[in-house]
Amino acid sequence: MPKNKRRDINEDEFFGFAKSYLSEAFPNPQRIGCPPESDLISMATCPNERHAPVSEHLTGCSPCFNRYINILADLKRK
Amino acid sequence: MAANGSPHSFRLNAVDRHGRNIDPTVLAAAEEVFPRALDHGLKLLGDAAVIANALEEVAAVVSRVVARTVAARTDPVPIKNLPGYIFRAFVRHVNRLKRKQLVLVTSDGNEQASAPRWADPSREFEMKILVDECLAQCDFVTQDMFWRRVQGFSWADIGRIHGLTAHAAEVRFRHALQRAHVRLTNGRRQLETDDSARLDRRAEAHNA
Repeated sequence: MPKNKRRDINEDEFFGFAKSYLSEAFPNPQRIGCPPESDLISMATCPNERHAPVSEHLTGCSPCFNRYINILADLKRK
Repeated sequence: MAANGSPHSFRLNAVDRHGRNIDPTVLAAAEEVFPRALDHGLKLLGDAAVIANALEEVAAVVSRVVARTVAARTDPVPIKNLPGYIFRAFVRHVNRLKRKQLVLVTSDGNEQASAPRWADPSREFEMKILVDECLAQCDFVTQDMFWRRVQGFSWADIGRIHGLTAHAAEVRFRHALQRAHVRLTNGRRQLETDDSARLDRRAEAHNA
């Protein structure tokens, strides 16, 4: 087996890992650059290009990521 | 290297270690994110001085991007959320540094190919890079698919939100993930090639 051969990416593992990683990796206790809750709700219910900066922010802020995931969970339940 | 005595608890130099100038606005934004960068960087690199150097390098590169943007536009549009932009660029830079360390560690051929997926820290780190690269390369719609899929939305639900079929939504996301995977693989090969060439040069110098 070649020493650097990669395994295929399993989607469930990938998203499971991503959720756990993004929920902890970027603590932002001072909440630098965080959008208001209303922007997160608006992006969850009616996503469009104007939310791009909010979505970008989620890639590097665990508190906002966790909040957004909770909002999506509520939305999914409805 | 960071110095003391600024409005922030840490102050970065206005010139990075390669002698590149850092724009004052970018410098202020970099100093603003320094505590977060330090927190994140310490977990991966473990040395505050290395982290400060890395952040200065990122700030220097971002300064050039800002300067080019201003020069190219008659009506300059500043980067929205500059601290956030710098922080994400820093995360990717640290990932590259860490990946290079891991290539050096594993290039002796002792990689545990049969080990469970997450038993090896280097594999776990590669997944982190894959997530970061995937998100960095995604456009807004694909990022939105990512968030919803993380929360367990079906592709049919995701497609409906974005006016696509379930299949089209899944294919769109898979392509983005594939691109990130290819980029990661190519980056690793390049690092290994560079490392191999460096070792060859060292061996030649030793033999000479």
